[in-house]
Amino acid sequence: MNWTCEQTEQLLTDYLDGLLPADEQHAFNLHVNSCERCTPLVSSVTHAMNSLRGLPELETPPRLVYHILDATLGPRETVSGWAAFLSWLRGFASPRFAYGAVSMAATFLMVVTVSGSINWKKPKLSDLAPSNIYRNTNRQVHLAYARGTKYVSDLRVVYEIQSRLRQDNDLPANRENTTPENKPTPGRTDGSGPASPRQQNRANDVSSQLQVLAEEVPLLSGKLSLVLLEGRTR
Amino acid sequence: MEQDAQLVQQCLQGDGSAWEELVRRHSRRIFNICYRFTGNRTEAEDLSQDVFLRVYRTLGSYRSAHGGFATWMTSVTRNLLIDHYRRTKRDRATDSLDDAMPVVENKESVGRRPDEQALLGELSAQVQAALTHLSPELREAVILRDLQQLEYSEIQAVLAVPEGTVKSRINRGRIELARILQQMGVRPS
Repeated sequence: MNWTCEQTEQLLTDYLDGLLPADEQHAFNLHVNSCERCTPLVSSVTHAMNSLRGLPELETPPRLVYHILDATLGPRETVSGWAAFLSWLRGFASPRFAYGAVSMAATFLMVVTVSGSINWKKPKLSDLAPSNIYRNTNRQVHLAYARGTKYVSDLRVVYEIQSRLRQDNDLPANRENTTPENKPTPGRTDGSGPASPRQQNRANDVSSQLQVLAEEVPLLSGKLSLVLLEGRTR
Repeated sequence: MEQDAQLVQQCLQGDGSAWEELVRRHSRRIFNICYRFTGNRTEAEDLSQDVFLRVYRTLGSYRSAHGGFATWMTSVTRNLLIDHYRRTKRDRATDSLDDAMPVVENKESVGRRPDEQALLGELSAQVQAALTHLSPELREAVILRDLQQLEYSEIQAVLAVPEGTVKSRINRGRIELARILQQMGVRPS
């Protein structure tokens, strides 16, 4: 089928509304895809149509219905008392107003609850005073800050202790201490340690020898014996 | 549709609550047609009121056998809009494309980000401005088809013109609207 630009323009609405027969739609597509003039035309008209269809449906002004009813049925009887109050309340029944009111109430409740202004077991009217709300909120903020600071400080101490313990465990001397103490030493059957008793015996030997020397040499005996005696008592 | 016919019968018997129900059922649709045609809320409100006044006065002439009540009401609306257009034509003679930008609309779009809402509001305002620059014949055709989503047969009944003319007007209206939008710098993304 030989399709022209004029045909595209004339049958554009049929194409957009899906009213073209299959063969014509095929020819339309073939032409539009290869025509420099028709491609932007179809694109812009499709965009305009979609934009038009995307326009929002506006809400009716609330007074319009009342004006129409007044103009057709005549002015309505004036209502008073509860009927007037209920009629006034009905004006707030729009979803947007209800959503806003619920959001505000929820925010207020959250602030009041978090600030600890209201004791929910024994609520008082004075709890809702702005000065009380401010004071309690301020107190809660400071308490939260102090608790946070203490928590961080505690964490630091714990971390420091842990890191020191880890360092101690990593030292080679301490690692030796982790070996079993009752491990038998080669050549020893009494289970005693090899170093310390010997050193202690040597020290004892030196001090006893010095004591003997002091007794034998009278010149030195005064000062030396004193030193030795002091050393032994320490 | 049957409910509308029943309400009309009740109205004709003097039932005020039936009329109130008819007003509440159709006021939003009529107000939207008027607003899209005029691009002005106050004018749309006044015109909607005029439409219901005329419908109330001529309710006895409505015959359900000739079509739905909504189509009949749309036809009354269209006639009033054309009358209004002719009356106010002189006032609009000095209007230009540049100074006809309407106030950005508040699109009810739950869940959209503020920047998306702002973009949509701007686009809506531009489309509305472009719409008011169409000739009344093309404007009413695209409003009924693309905004009110009426079938060709319903538009034919409202405009009282053959179906070929309806199609031709919708076609020309869409092409003209696209051209005006392009002039305004609104192009397909």
